[in-house]
Amino acid sequence: MKSFLIKCMFGAMALGVLLIGNTVKAEDWETTGLTDKAIKVGVMGPFTGNASSYSKTQIGLMAYFKHINDQGGIHGRKFEMFPEDTACAPAKGIAAAKKLVHQDKVFYLHGNSCSAVAMAVKPTVSPTGIPWIIAHAVNPKITMPVNEKKSIYHGVPAGPAYGSTMGEFVMSKPGAKRIAMITHTNDWAKAYCDPAIKVIKATGGEIVLEQALERGQTDATAQVLKLKGAKPDFILGCLYEAETVIFLRDAKKYGLRIPVMGTAGTDLENTLERLGDKDAVKDYYVLHAFVDKVDGPKMKKWNDIILKYNPDETITGFSAVSMASGVAAVKALQNVGPDLTRSKFIAELDKIKGLSTGILACDITWSATDRHGCKKSAVAGFVDGNPTVLSSWGKPW
Amino acid sequence: MDIFLQLTLSGLSQGAIFALIALSLTVVYRATTIVNFGHGDFVMAGAFFVYVLVIYVELPYVFAAISAVLIMLGMGLGVSRGFIDPIKAGPHIGFAMMSISLGYVLRGGARFLWGREVFPMPRVFDIEPFFIGNLVVTGDVLFISAIVAVFLLIFFFIFYRTTTGVIIQAVYQSERGATLIGVNVRAFHQSMWGVGLAMGALAGILIAPISLLHPDLGATFLIRGFAAMTLGGFGSLGGAVVGGLLLGVAEQLFGFYINSSLQDITAYLIIVAVLVIRPAGLFGRTVTVRV
Amino acid sequence: MEKKNGNTSLITSNQLRWFYYLVPVAALIIPFVANEYLLWIVNAILVYTLVTVGFNIIIGNLGQLAFANTAFFGIGAYTSAILMVYGGVPYTLSILMSAIVGGLAGFLASVTALRGIRLYYLAIITLAFGELMRWVYLHGDDVTKGSDGLRIPDDIFFLGIPLDSEVPKFFVFLLLAVLLVKATSNLMRSRIGRAIVAIRENEATTASLGIHTARYIVLAFVWSGSVVGVAGAMFAVLTERVLPEAFGLTEVIIHFGMVLVGGTGSIVGSVIGAITLTTLPEYFRQFPGMDELFFGIIIVLVLLFLPKGIVSLLWRISPAFKERYYRD
Repeated sequence: MKSFLIKCMFGAMALGVLLIGNTVKAEDWETTGLTDKAIKVGVMGPFTGNASSYSKTQIGLMAYFKHINDQGGIHGRKFEMFPEDTACAPAKGIAAAKKLVHQDKVFYLHGNSCSAVAMAVKPTVSPTGIPWIIAHAVNPKITMPVNEKKSIYHGVPAGPAYGSTMGEFVMSKPGAKRIAMITHTNDWAKAYCDPAIKVIKATGGEIVLEQALERGQTDATAQVLKLKGAKPDFILGCLYEAETVIFLRDAKKYGLRIPVMGTAGTDLENTLERLGDKDAVKDYYVLHAFVDKVDGPKMKKWNDIILKYNPDETITGFSAVSMASGVAAVKALQNVGPDLTRSKFIAELDKIKGLSTGILACDITWSATDRHGCKKSAVAGFVDGNPTVLSSWGKPW
Repeated sequence: MDIFLQLTLSGLSQGAIFALIALSLTVVYRATTIVNFGHGDFVMAGAFFVYVLVIYVELPYVFAAISAVLIMLGMGLGVSRGFIDPIKAGPHIGFAMMSISLGYVLRGGARFLWGREVFPMPRVFDIEPFFIGNLVVTGDVLFISAIVAVFLLIFFFIFYRTTTGVIIQAVYQSERGATLIGVNVRAFHQSMWGVGLAMGALAGILIAPISLLHPDLGATFLIRGFAAMTLGGFGSLGGAVVGGLLLGVAEQLFGFYINSSLQDITAYLIIVAVLVIRPAGLFGRTVTVRV
Repeated sequence: MEKKNGNTSLITSNQLRWFYYLVPVAALIIPFVANEYLLWIVNAILVYTLVTVGFNIIIGNLGQLAFANTAFFGIGAYTSAILMVYGGVPYTLSILMSAIVGGLAGFLASVTALRGIRLYYLAIITLAFGELMRWVYLHGDDVTKGSDGLRIPDDIFFLGIPLDSEVPKFFVFLLLAVLLVKATSNLMRSRIGRAIVAIRENEATTASLGIHTARYIVLAFVWSGSVVGVAGAMFAVLTERVLPEAFGLTEVIIHFGMVLVGGTGSIVGSVIGAITLTTLPEYFRQFPGMDELFFGIIIVLVLLFLPKGIVSLLWRISPAFKERYYRD
């Protein structure tokens, strides 16, 4: 019985191997997910789980697609969105990607917060050659080096862009030399801090102390006292918002009055609101991806689009981030013309050069060899008590 | 020395929260021999009720906090009646999963209602930090320590100095004996669930202004509550309190003197160390079986 | 062999045995009808079948509240991945090593039980073990690549079959699942299995009968660790990247849920549990943001109304579905 079973299985196995060889025909692949009326787009995001506050970026992106639809769509086609939950968990993300690629058969993928999930999903998506635009995750390895099928794009500053901005800003403070850091120990924090350290070391600075503060901790006394003892000129803080708030609170408490440089995972005004103490954020500087304050006049147009389709949404520093790559994708789709195919879409994405989206502080430039579309970011900080967007120490944007 | 004292102080205020959570777990455990694995989510729920009452119903903070504690007390009675009693006949494995699942329902509910947002919890008192020598004392530390200390005094007074307390001790000793002298053990179990959840809610309300309010608030505290119970001696009320305080201090000292990346796993290391060195914990009775 | 229950039941245990053999044979049709996504889910079910079968030995048969299952799962996955990435070890051999290392982890976990620690105390200690392992993956940067995760090689073979898509993975996983489920079933029906269940029913009595309880407790943990370790090696290939995040507290809760929803102490139940809690979350994708709520509600309902798990519904069809490891 058993040997028969095993024979059966190997027989079927051989059949199965034959079957895979027989893949989809090329033309089909080019126009999968397209009809005369619709472009199917898969939007992966952490709609549940402990990172669900990031899904605000996908909400923003989808609001922008709805806005384009209401203006008549692109060459008669409207976006048909397939939001899929990754819960910021690798296995769930892979299932989501497989569903979008093999069951919903979308034309292209756009979205993804959570670098770990994007990395986990990459082996599934990359070999299919389906265009995939990363609209939020920061790990640079998702898009570079360029994958074999040349199909993956980064539409936000990746770690190195953000990180080097952090490094440059820190070193632009006159006399800054001794730098300390406080970070989470995860890939997200590394994506910011590692490139920042590189820039700092290359421009004559040194890292004098490294402290870990893990997610969910509610006290940073030990870390603050260590940092105070090290007497650095500037502190790099690669922390999520909740822990940033705790760190700044304790820093003030123990009289650690040294400027702190934070990531794009936090937002200056949110941080202030959560701390409820202007004095504690006085020395906090933070990466700011946008051209203006989150609720500034230049951002109003975009925030209004989000609110039009999601009236109850609270706008945060995450909300509009992904819309910029949405603008780029729409531009490329428009440039392709009515005869849309995946190859043409990829070709047009590669032709996007210096696209100023009016959202992000960087211009998006893609090419066949460089997929990090966004190379710089602004910094926000309090100047004379007012939140201000800065380009370097003391210099407004 | 200043640094050591400072670390100890902030460790104690953290530890006060752990102690409260460990104690609330122990109260239920001693009464029903059930450990509530979903307790973290009940802690979160308590804080969320305060938020709802303050923001939507516009109750004053203190009333909201008291109401939330009472709501959780009621929820404890309901959980015991509606979800634990019906599976009484089954193995302990069922209780563990039931408490986890109820926690999931609460967390899922909170996520469904407020999923993408993180809320700053309204602050009660804003006391300026002051100095004792070189030691900084902040409003949070003072507030948390004071409330927990007062609560513990009341709790242990009731437990050891009143008739109610004597009855509770009696039931802890022998349920059958208690039944014989006319104690309604079922009602007793329900009320202990109520007390446990109410105490957990208090911990949630105290910590939320610091940790911010979000559906995953409770998860990190649950494991620390477990560690505190283990350290103090599984099932010992006083041990839970001492264990919580020691854990709070240990986290700070480990983080500063050894390595800050160890701070996060101090709780786990303590659990394993206790197992290796003294499974009964500091004040525990024997919890092991000999075969 | 046939038991005398023909009068009351539609199916005899002998017929049932053939039915059990038919299930995997019938499953061979799946790759010809399912797309890559559905096949991925089926493959995940096969992995989780072993996870649940392994976990059930400790939770159900031995009756111990030990939550080291994600630790075994992660250790299996990392063992296989590390051997393939750094040692160039063939996948087939790495599976074997995962079983061995998983078994060793099981042995380590059994030490707690041998120190006489039981129930919730054991649960908490084994949870701590799992979380400490996750910390090791996260901070073992040079080997585990920390939070980036360890990408397994592209060209892996199982006995010469290239595992480059879901279809070959399906056949290999099915083979492994059938072999290990059958082996576990045989083991649980043997004298060893009966001793393990006897320990659950009454440890002191079992010991007083001259049965070396410690030996059987260790054996149950080691076997459980090995089976789940193999599942880990399969998981590594299924997800193609081994990440610390995959082995957190939520994962062990899902495993626990699978055991209880399917049916504690039942191998058929383990399979049912793995199928139910792998497919339902996929079905609930259409209601985004309500995952945890549904998961919680389903398990609460099962606990209240089907305390012996979904498998108990089958018992109503025929008592032959009951897996008896000892005489009542």
